[in-house]
Amino acid sequence: MTMAARPALRRAIPSLRSSTTHQSPQIQHSLRSFSCSSPACRASPAGSTTPDYATPDPSRPTHFGFETVTEAEKRERVAGVFRSVAESYDKMNDLMSFGWHRVWKDHFVAGLNPGFSPLGTPGSDPRSPQHILDIAGGTGDIAFRMLHTAHVVNGNPDVTVTISDINPAMLSVGRQRAQQQLTASQLAATSFVEANAEDLTQTKPLAPDSHSHSTITTTATTIPTTNPPISSSIPDNSVDLYTVAFGIRNFSNIPAALREAYRVLKPGGVFACLEFSKADRYGPVFNTIYKQWSFGAIPLIGQLVAGDRDSYQYLVESIERFPSQGEFRDMIVDAGFVVGGTGYENLTGGVAAIHKGMKPRAQ
Amino acid sequence: MSSTAGAVTGQIARCVQRPAAARLAPIASRTTTATNLVTVHCRPAASGRRTLSSACLLLRTTQSPRLSTTTPTTRTIPTCRAYHSYDHPPPPGPFSETEQAILSAAYKHVPEYGFSEEALALGARDAGYLDISTNLLPEGAFSLIRWHLVTQREALASRVDSNNNSVEALTWERLLGNKDVIRRWQEALAIMAQPSHVPASLKELAMLADEILYLSGDTSVDPSWYTKRASLSAVYASAELFMTNDFSEGFQDTRAFLKRRLNESAEVRGVLRSVGEWVTFTASAGVNVLRSKGVRI
Amino acid sequence: MAPTRALLRSARPLLSSPASPVHHHQLLHDFLAPALFSSSSRRSLSSTPPPSQATPATTNNAQSHSRDGGAQQKPKKLKPLTPEQQSFLSSALRVNQAGELAATLIYTGQTPPLISRHPHLRPLMEHMYDQEASHLKTFNTLLAKHRVRPTALYPLWSVMASGLGWGTAIMGREAAMACTEAVETEIGDHYNSQIRTLLSMVTEWEEQGYDVGDEFRELIGTLRRIRDEELEHLDHAVQHDSKKAEPHWLLTGVIRAGCRGAIWVSERV
Repeated sequence: MTMAARPALRRAIPSLRSSTTHQSPQIQHSLRSFSCSSPACRASPAGSTTPDYATPDPSRPTHFGFETVTEAEKRERVAGVFRSVAESYDKMNDLMSFGWHRVWKDHFVAGLNPGFSPLGTPGSDPRSPQHILDIAGGTGDIAFRMLHTAHVVNGNPDVTVTISDINPAMLSVGRQRAQQQLTASQLAATSFVEANAEDLTQTKPLAPDSHSHSTITTTATTIPTTNPPISSSIPDNSVDLYTVAFGIRNFSNIPAALREAYRVLKPGGVFACLEFSKADRYGPVFNTIYKQWSFGAIPLIGQLVAGDRDSYQYLVESIERFPSQGEFRDMIVDAGFVVGGTGYENLTGGVAAIHKGMKPRAQ
Repeated sequence: MSSTAGAVTGQIARCVQRPAAARLAPIASRTTTATNLVTVHCRPAASGRRTLSSACLLLRTTQSPRLSTTTPTTRTIPTCRAYHSYDHPPPPGPFSETEQAILSAAYKHVPEYGFSEEALALGARDAGYLDISTNLLPEGAFSLIRWHLVTQREALASRVDSNNNSVEALTWERLLGNKDVIRRWQEALAIMAQPSHVPASLKELAMLADEILYLSGDTSVDPSWYTKRASLSAVYASAELFMTNDFSEGFQDTRAFLKRRLNESAEVRGVLRSVGEWVTFTASAGVNVLRSKGVRI
Repeated sequence: MAPTRALLRSARPLLSSPASPVHHHQLLHDFLAPALFSSSSRRSLSSTPPPSQATPATTNNAQSHSRDGGAQQKPKKLKPLTPEQQSFLSSALRVNQAGELAATLIYTGQTPPLISRHPHLRPLMEHMYDQEASHLKTFNTLLAKHRVRPTALYPLWSVMASGLGWGTAIMGREAAMACTEAVETEIGDHYNSQIRTLLSMVTEWEEQGYDVGDEFRELIGTLRRIRDEELEHLDHAVQHDSKKAEPHWLLTGVIRAGCRGAIWVSERV
């Protein structure tokens, strides 16, 4: 974390600490901001099937940690947070979860089992190729695991992964890691795009580094390094598996992102989300201990280890503001997905949860 | 508890008109139950309607998961049907329509591929979905096992006629329902024995025993309700296990095994009943003798 | 006057509730003069629109039923029971069966010591026992019919109820009557709250335009009848000097607390 970035970050995140005292009204407000009851989103425009609250509106109020901001401002501030933590993202995750996030991610990917093909000889059936879209997966944690599972464990080389993130800094880190960790064939199956998950019709392949020598295939075209990247879009019904791990709570408008996920997935395609959630599976005592740890220790550790208390404070508050397992499941159902069982799986007593939904076939 | 009830009450006031009976029972737990009973069904009923009202979101979220109303597109862990109503339509089953489509298609592949991910993926393809669509089923291969258990149990009512509905006949019919998948059943039992699946497996066994006894016309509602179901569950589980290794013609060895086990449990029940009768008779006779002697008890 | 006061006490919160006039009227009369209101007169008072005009766009599992015995078949639209409603109904029936079992055993335990000292109480004890036995039979049938499980603590309640009956009878006639008074008061309150909940379910369904099945109406009718008979036993107990038991407050307090605890446990176990 450079010294120059810190003042910039302070300007981007003013007075976070003062807002912690106004907890419950903010939570009420956050619930309302997911709902139809606020006057801003009472009636959807005639003729459109998308409800108003699911259309991104830069001036609609949302939450940034315990503060109330507009959607546009939230996007800027989140960008600021992640720009500053991109380099130490792994360290941040390790600190926040005692390294347990690796176990969660392994379980998440193993459960999805990408590339699994029942016929034993993948590639023989035209349906066995899979295209995976990993949203907000800038540093590539999930994507690399998916590639390993698909190519190595399931022996299916026809699986491609598109890593998408709104933040080019995170994507750059991801690309560097990919070049170090992935094999050539895996690298060939990977592409990096900059995109806002709430509007996947405007995607941009990540500009290649001036230092990098490898070519990176983009979703649409290969670009010569001298020209600016061309904007493209992720087409409807083109993705088999849409994953978002520890990213969705940072979105300004979650229902819009869910509807975009619905749009790009094929019928039968799966939406899978790994995110922090309400740790109330084992009763209020566990939840209280967890909250004490989150709000008490994590910002302090962030201050001591990464020199960045404010970003960690935001991250902890954003976990608190994220809807509970049942609420989020209902938002997924509202976007048109079908879920099985309860629709979610609690991890570590609800500290994290995996939500899965499937796009139904057209009737 | 009362503050939770208060919160729930407050939320419900926004969602539904309060019913006439405003006074709730003094015990807080009954308060919560009584309040929750009159919730409006804010759920997407038909497949076309997806929008949820916001207050219903609030309502659902402030309740504990056990008390929340289930929607047609989501299912909680299957519970015993607590109250069987003859007038009201039956509650939705444990599987949604999409899950049913995938599982019924996958079931056809079980004899060849077992209760496994392969069978599920082939079933998903047959049903017109993708390989990755098997992620809809939260428990993977165990969902397929549960499908087998649930469909066989529900088919029992139609498979047995009214003049041959003894417990033995019904149990035998249910065992015969396993015959297509019996060569794969040992693997299935291994999956069912995994700690995360044990509660659901035991629940299914209990529901099967209840179903068999109900169809056989048993109407006892004293402690023998529990003892009969426990012993029948044990007999059925052992007979099923025996059947996985039975290669006789028409599984006649299993049938003989079943008969022996049922006779044993009937004997034990008879012995216990006799002992109980003897004890109560002797005790009450003793008390009456003392009373006739003038002891004021 | 005491029984009427007790009845009024339980009816008072209803009077103060913000109920619609129609239902207010019917509920008040329900508690003061239950026999006045049969299910047919109640239907004429309710403001439900005829089922054919109601159009809720939810699950339509119609069931045909001829109400007037004539050739006309009117499909009844009944709402599926929610899991909470199902578990309420099953725990209500379970507790009621446990309660009637306890009542029968209390009378069985009380009768011999009481009759040996006060032979003139035999007809009363027989009458109350017969009524309780018929209640128990009713609930046994209901439990078997609706596939509800009985309470797992059945043997425990059997032993405790017999012991309570015998013990209070040994203490004396007034103590036995005080025990009956305490149990019947608790049971009366308990049935009242169940009937209230069931009526509120009916109100909710009628508001949403659904029909209420015969099974449900019969259940409410049965509970009402049984509650009335229990309150009649309460009257008998008070008439036979239950208030003269020494110490009345301790005896009734302990027994009522025990009943409430047993009800709470039986709803769950």
